[in-house]
Amino acid sequence: MNGYHMEGFSGYSVKYSPFYDNKLAIASGANFGLVGNGKLYILDINNQGKLEEYNSFITQDCLFDTAWNELHENQLVVAQGDGSLRLFDITQKDYPIAVFKEHEREVLSCNWNLVNKNTFISSSWDGTVKIWSPLRPNSLSTLIPNPMKVIEYIDRVDIPLSHQNAHSDMTQNRNCIYQSIFSPHDPNLILTCAGNSYITLFDMRQAATANNQQNFLSHGGLETLTCDFNKYRPNIIASGGVDNAIRIWDLRMIETTRGNLSATTTTRPKCVNEVSKAHELAVRKVVWSPHESTLLLSASYDMTCSVWRDLSFNGKVPTNRTNNTHIGKGCITRFGAHTEFVFGIDWSLWGKPGYIASTAWDGNAYIWKGY
Amino acid sequence: MSQRLQNIKNHLTQDNKISSNENLSLLKKTKNPDDVVIVLANRSAITKGFKGSFKDLNTDYLLLQFLKEFINQFPSNLKNNLSLIEDITCGNVLNVGSGATEHRAATLAAGFPYETSFNSINRQCSSGLTAINDIANKIISGQIDIGLALGIESMSKNYKNINPLGTISENLLTDSNAKKCLIPMGLTNELIAKNFKIDRLKQDSFAALSNQKASLAIKNGLFKDEILPITTPDGKIIDTDEGPRDNVTTDSLSNLKPAFIKDPKKNGTTTAGNSSQISDGVAGVLLARRSIAESLNLPIIGKYLAFQVIGVPPEIMGVGPAYAIPKLLSKINLDINDIDIFEINEAFAAQCLYCANILNIDTEKVNPRGGAIALGHPLGCTGARQVATIMRELEEDQIGIVSMCIGTGMGAAAAFLKE
Repeated sequence: MNGYHMEGFSGYSVKYSPFYDNKLAIASGANFGLVGNGKLYILDINNQGKLEEYNSFITQDCLFDTAWNELHENQLVVAQGDGSLRLFDITQKDYPIAVFKEHEREVLSCNWNLVNKNTFISSSWDGTVKIWSPLRPNSLSTLIPNPMKVIEYIDRVDIPLSHQNAHSDMTQNRNCIYQSIFSPHDPNLILTCAGNSYITLFDMRQAATANNQQNFLSHGGLETLTCDFNKYRPNIIASGGVDNAIRIWDLRMIETTRGNLSATTTTRPKCVNEVSKAHELAVRKVVWSPHESTLLLSASYDMTCSVWRDLSFNGKVPTNRTNNTHIGKGCITRFGAHTEFVFGIDWSLWGKPGYIASTAWDGNAYIWKGY
Repeated sequence: MSQRLQNIKNHLTQDNKISSNENLSLLKKTKNPDDVVIVLANRSAITKGFKGSFKDLNTDYLLLQFLKEFINQFPSNLKNNLSLIEDITCGNVLNVGSGATEHRAATLAAGFPYETSFNSINRQCSSGLTAINDIANKIISGQIDIGLALGIESMSKNYKNINPLGTISENLLTDSNAKKCLIPMGLTNELIAKNFKIDRLKQDSFAALSNQKASLAIKNGLFKDEILPITTPDGKIIDTDEGPRDNVTTDSLSNLKPAFIKDPKKNGTTTAGNSSQISDGVAGVLLARRSIAESLNLPIIGKYLAFQVIGVPPEIMGVGPAYAIPKLLSKINLDINDIDIFEINEAFAAQCLYCANILNIDTEKVNPRGGAIALGHPLGCTGARQVATIMRELEEDQIGIVSMCIGTGMGAAAAFLKE
């Protein structure tokens, strides 16, 4: 295990560079990202295998996510708490080379298109998803997942933090689109997950209307915090949420068998595997392995990261097994060195498969071996 | 800042975030691959003890006949590969050793390969339901993927041979609590009737209603789908319940003498007419993990939600459902009004009435096709029989609860969602 401490900043996201085998980017925020500056760290892995700072950029609000430009080895975009996205060149100092400001609230995620490579996507607390080109200041497109049948509890008034008006007006997290990602197989497919427990699949070949999207309830009414496309199986995705569970879905919408008394069929994506109680607290991030189709990495508020084997697939065909039928629920590794909520995880693309970077509210970034 | 803090707080406090009402609709919408689902639930006709059609049949023969018919209902890919059913649990109360030997023999004779293991289970009147819970737990824990829960009883053959209550050592009888386990069931019901003021009229009218509901259900063919025919050794085919009598009225029941308190001065209220009948019968519920059921294209008629059992004072054991049902509901975060049908075993009219009243259950939701007072109460079979019945009473997306009181002081309850 190899570590780096970010003095005064809490890690929200970590990403390996797709161009340099020794570079990592970390998006972080002061005061646990609740208020104050953000900081983008570019770390090098030196010849002794230690992490050291290569460059860093202070921003005016917390950074929640980052994504490397797939076409330019020195560029990366960050998702900032003030609603802006900023493109940095890691060889420059202090300032971004471009700012994209359209979101009205915190930008919670950003992701670069791995197939097209000339667009990136962002999702925000304002309930929208935007597609951008690094060459244009305005977004190319705005997607709005249907508010759908919003589950009643989300509108319920919670106990306010204080009696000030600004504090009692909590619409809670219904509009939070925690993550949006492009499919690594098809540049037109976009997956998003939100605080209303729904996952939405957009196909950009269709007009971005309210009906041209597939939504499904994914975490039993509790917030869905993360989702990811499998890198080998185009129709398989994973999701994690506040119900502490990880679910694996087949997007092909296979008809499910119903009882003999009813002829109706459902065509929503099928949950093919689940790890209930995958973590002791909410699952904040899931990432499929770039090396193996059945390995999944997760991070949680319970301060741990886990590597899971998806037992519903044996590498060739579905097995119809679920991880809950396995004595250890298919958990290969549990990493417990962090001492606060873990928000950022990424698989290394470089060298021997199995290396993982993680970052947490404890201000630490670690590199460790997942298997 | 406060909103970001609130946002994180909401991720950490999932408890009580979803109210019972919302939980209900989510429960109905969510289909997880690890759900325990009901593939099939059937039963035999329930026949009268000592004089009915099964009176001369041993339970192993009855079980064999039932299993042959039951297996016939399986889709061919399962029928031709019975080893997919990994374990069988059979509830039984009165056979010696709860029938562990002869019922294993019956499963082998019915065509199950020897790899399909067998165990018998006895939690008195809840044995059939406890068998379902046993199989469901094995599926939940990942031990098995498909299992069969059975319940069988021949009270004709076994009720009088052995003392159904068993015996308690002299040394234990000095313990006032231990001793209570020997109180005859009828007397525990008299205590309920007396303590909770359920008079004879209420009990008799409840019993008459049970008979009327069951008779009407038979007349309308509502049990046709759930009853599998049993062929007796002399070639007769039995496929109709023998217990219900359509000419029973509150008046006609009022003439019966108390069965447990014979002293006329003591005003006993429990009669043969407002108690469950002594009967013979068998029932089976095939359960599977949803992911496996779907991969084998098995029909899915319902989902097992949860099971709870709780102890109550042995001297008023009939109150069991009044404690088990709330415990069950709190486990699954549902309200009593979310439940569409209750199958509460009518061990006696007074105890069943007490439970329904204290829980404020709409009487129309309780045993809509009659209960044990009309149909009979073959002890170990009852729980599984109720599940076969409730699966036909419920409509799609409705939730039902099966519950019963248990001798020696317990109550059991399980919830099912019809799909």
